[in-house]
Amino acid sequence: MTQPLIEEPLIDVVETPPAVWAKGLVRKFGKTVAVDHVDLSIGTGEFYGLLGQNGAGKTTTIKSIVGLLRPNAGTVGIGEFNTWEHPTEVKSRIGVLPEEFNLYERLTGAELLDFTAAMHGLDRQEAKSRRNELLDMLDLVDAGSKLVGDYSRGMRKKVALGAAIIHRPPVLFLDEPFEGVDAVSARLIRRLLQQAAQGGTTIVFSSHEMHLVEKLCTRIGIMVAGKLTIEDTPEGLCTKMGVDNVEDAFIAAVGGKTPDSSWYVS
Amino acid sequence: MVRLLVGLKARLTWNGFRNDLQRRVGLPVALALLTWTGIWLARAHYETASLLQDTNPQAYANYLAWSALFLFLVWVTLPVIIFPLDENLDPQQLASLPLTPNRMVTGLAAASLVAPSTVVPLIVIGANTSTLSGGWWMVLPSAIVYLGLLAVASQLFSAAISGILRTRRGRDIATFLVLGLATGSFFVYRSVSRSISEIGIADSALSLPILEWWLLIPPVAAQKAMIEAAAGNVAPALLALTAAAAGLVVLASLWRNLLGWLLTTPAQQSKPASRARKGGMATGPWGVIPTMARKEFRFYVRDPRQRLVWTGTVIFVGLAVGGAVMNATGFFDLREREWAPLVAPILVLFVGLPIALNLFGWERNAASYLFVLPPRPHQILLGKNLAVATALTVETALLTLGLATFTGQWTWVWLAIPLTVAAIGCQLAVGNLVSVLTPLRLPREGTDVFAQSTEQGCLAIISQTVSFFAIGLLLVPPASIVVLTVEFGQVLSPWIAALAAIGWGLAFYCISLFLASRLLRRRMPEVLAWVQVV
Repeated sequence: MTQPLIEEPLIDVVETPPAVWAKGLVRKFGKTVAVDHVDLSIGTGEFYGLLGQNGAGKTTTIKSIVGLLRPNAGTVGIGEFNTWEHPTEVKSRIGVLPEEFNLYERLTGAELLDFTAAMHGLDRQEAKSRRNELLDMLDLVDAGSKLVGDYSRGMRKKVALGAAIIHRPPVLFLDEPFEGVDAVSARLIRRLLQQAAQGGTTIVFSSHEMHLVEKLCTRIGIMVAGKLTIEDTPEGLCTKMGVDNVEDAFIAAVGGKTPDSSWYVS
Repeated sequence: MVRLLVGLKARLTWNGFRNDLQRRVGLPVALALLTWTGIWLARAHYETASLLQDTNPQAYANYLAWSALFLFLVWVTLPVIIFPLDENLDPQQLASLPLTPNRMVTGLAAASLVAPSTVVPLIVIGANTSTLSGGWWMVLPSAIVYLGLLAVASQLFSAAISGILRTRRGRDIATFLVLGLATGSFFVYRSVSRSISEIGIADSALSLPILEWWLLIPPVAAQKAMIEAAAGNVAPALLALTAAAAGLVVLASLWRNLLGWLLTTPAQQSKPASRARKGGMATGPWGVIPTMARKEFRFYVRDPRQRLVWTGTVIFVGLAVGGAVMNATGFFDLREREWAPLVAPILVLFVGLPIALNLFGWERNAASYLFVLPPRPHQILLGKNLAVATALTVETALLTLGLATFTGQWTWVWLAIPLTVAAIGCQLAVGNLVSVLTPLRLPREGTDVFAQSTEQGCLAIISQTVSFFAIGLLLVPPASIVVLTVEFGQVLSPWIAALAAIGWGLAFYCISLFLASRLLRRRMPEVLAWVQVV
């Protein structure tokens, strides 16, 4: 009898909770059900792509998990903490890059990073050194002393990303991180995210840039009308849909249609 | 196109009313309050005009001219001095549509009248008409021209302030401009009320015969058209109406040109980087609460509106106190009162109130940034309170020392310290609870004031008035104990009075902080939804 390469543990493995989870999440706006009984379980170190058409419920799901929008039903959390029972513990473990840049416009980039670091309890020297590293890495050294309100869209996105990761959170939520960003900044952000993922950070990523989703994500979830309809790896999704790329798989999954090409000239 | 824009404004107002609870509450309350204000003004106007009509026809005509000008000036300046309460159509959103500038200006002016506040001039114009004894054929054209003047001049003034705020230098001087307006209004009010009380309303109206200048003042020309028509003078009435209409065209073309410039010229960026900015926030006090307070301070200085709150109110209060000390404003003479410097902490009530009572409203959309950060609610509140308390302490100290210097009453100046603690404690106690329970949405951050909305009807005013009285009530015991001790021969040891005042302020603050923190923990998403500007 040959010995197994990996020995079976002698004691039962303690089941660790997923890095990000939602159970029966429901969020309504009046009569509209934006998120409809979503169950989500994202493991540590996963690069999870949350996809869906506009209004499918991606942003609402993310907002509910990070504690910005109270669910009507269901529970959400990060690791062992329920977001709505232990908000401080959850918020100290996450970094959020929101879709809209609701940043402090009258702080400079450097001040915004310092402020965020202080709120996360980093000590002064550590905050200063991480701020300088991030400004350098994000190519914002010169802009660091300008007010965020004077930044271009790409610069805002970069400084928001810097603020989201300054405390090196184990979980990152990124809502449309590449929207409206030039190619140079996009590459920079992409490399940074890949580094974070390699370091074991769990990333929940919402985007309409399908080639990036295909390139970056280890697992994809597709939301349609508030429901999480499909979850799989990019390859598994393509196989399931009988197509050869994530964009086609996504369009097939959401039932997208091609407009009548003769309308404009008729 | 004018009809379309008016329809759009009406539809926006109706949709907002139907779909937003805040507006469902705010709009009826606003309408009720504005109607009451309109009736109150109309009644006073009708009674005064009727009295003068019988006793002094010349003064009557001048009074009517003055009242037309007064309403015009109030209508034009009030939305800039106080935050505008009505939602206006955003010209920026209309700029890409195939609209000629003339049509846009006409449409925007007409649409701006689709607002609850229009009820006030309508009621007053109705009362004005009823004081006239004829010339009914002129009522409608002159009322239309007058309303047009109100709408266009108001939009022109707001656009001009917007234009000023777009330049770097303009942003610096805007505080003083608006402050000058507010102070000027106060002194005009004082001189008018003094004149009326000393020589009577008839002689006051005649002392500055504004009706002689009707050709240069369009709202007065519109009123003159009605006066002449009532007197049966058809030609002068038509001439006056033509002058008013010409004035309306001039104002509208000025607004059109200004709007064209605003829509095509980007705002100037902020000042070049200073050395302090390069240092970020890593130098100076560190930690969650001090950093939160420092962030607030930066906004007090860099946000023109917050700067206006701090500089404006303290200078305004300073002027009022100065006037009282010099007995120049007709109030009581403070100079002989030993407790004169102790008035300063009580005046803290007036200073910084819009910030202390709306701690999260000033965050605007950035509240969503703040609320994903991990500080506990009491840390957020403590940081914000620390900033408000520091600013209030500095302003109170300045006022106290100023009062003591002017009155020469230094004996009890030290008691201003416990009284300041009590006053700030009470203000923050009420402010924390109000900020969490009824946060108010403020206009969009940025420099545009001509297309912003608070969308809450009169809720802001109601909330602030009620809170103001609540703070006042809370302050009665400590203020009484201190002032009575000083004024009535120390029936109580001043030290005990001081300790009682400090204890009172701190006790209420601690209770409020405890309650507000628990509320904020539970209500963060609701607070966020209320303060976010769509």
